Amino acid sequence: MRRHIGMLLCFAWMGMMVSACATPGTAQKPYRFSQQGTIIWQDEFEFKPPPSNWRVIQVEVGGEFGFGFLKVDSGPAPSQSMFVYDEEPFGCSTEPGERGREFFRRYLWSTAMIADMQILEKKNVNVLGGEGLAVVAEAKDPVKKEKVKSKVVFGKRGDRVVAFYLTQWRPMDGTYDPSAFEVFDRFWESFRFLKKSFYQTLVEDP
Amino acid sequence: MEGHQRNLPLYDRFNARVVGVSVDDVTTLKYWAKSLDLTFPLLSNVTGFLGPSFGVGPSPEIKGFPVFSRRTVIIDPKGIIRYAKDGSPDFKDILLFLKKMNKEGGKP
Repeated sequence: MRRHIGMLLCFAWMGMMVSACATPGTAQKPYRFSQQGTIIWQDEFEFKPPPSNWRVIQVEVGGEFGFGFLKVDSGPAPSQSMFVYDEEPFGCSTEPGERGREFFRRYLWSTAMIADMQILEKKNVNVLGGEGLAVVAEAKDPVKKEKVKSKVVFGKRGDRVVAFYLTQWRPMDGTYDPSAFEVFDRFWESFRFLKKSFYQTLVEDP
Repeated sequence: MEGHQRNLPLYDRFNARVVGVSVDDVTTLKYWAKSLDLTFPLLSNVTGFLGPSFGVGPSPEIKGFPVFSRRTVIIDPKGIIRYAKDGSPDFKDILLFLKKMNKEGGKP
């Protein structure tokens, strides 16, 4: 019978979320290349690298996403594409479909885009060796005259849902670059874990 | 908050319970909890008298607004604060601490 020691975890908060800040990678590289040409990220993840014009980005505070790649596209601001691997995507559900519903209530919440988010495509995919969900969405901000197209892929790592997502920003009259979506697809389709996650180890180790 | 919600099964595994404390009023907290699908208790402490008990004062970052600084506190069964950390919760650190505490609690 489980013994309850009755610990109480309390916390106070400011009532505001602190945004994570993406910054270019520092001098000490968190990755190396394998003999097969894949990237080994901190000895934990392996995936096919994007072309060399994509720059590495990492989170330094917060936890909005883990790491990813950024490319500044030709054309006026805000023309850029970014994709990331996220260990803690918005939401709490452990089922990818339900997590997708929760995720899109918060995704891009710090922009005006969330008010006008349209789901363009939703389909089941095979990701990380199991069933997952891929969603393509687009949002427009008529005030800033900007738009964003995004693809989000939800999968499982142990009991928890993880996500990959690409955002491609354009001025309202700009055209999207489908090649970035192809690079992103190669990223998540090739992605695999080289060791158990913190959470898997936490519950399995005595 | 979503991080704590995601970790509820793990807190349960380590015999811990989570409670949020805020100076927001009950109505605000109800809507906020609903918007994030939170299922654990949130305590409304509009006068802020609980703050000093946990070493929490008004936030220096948002001057003029009655909000607590952000702090995570772990209290043992005897009511002793065993862990306190300011800022955003370090969930991995919290879970490792709870696991260690749970182990200690299980010893004869």
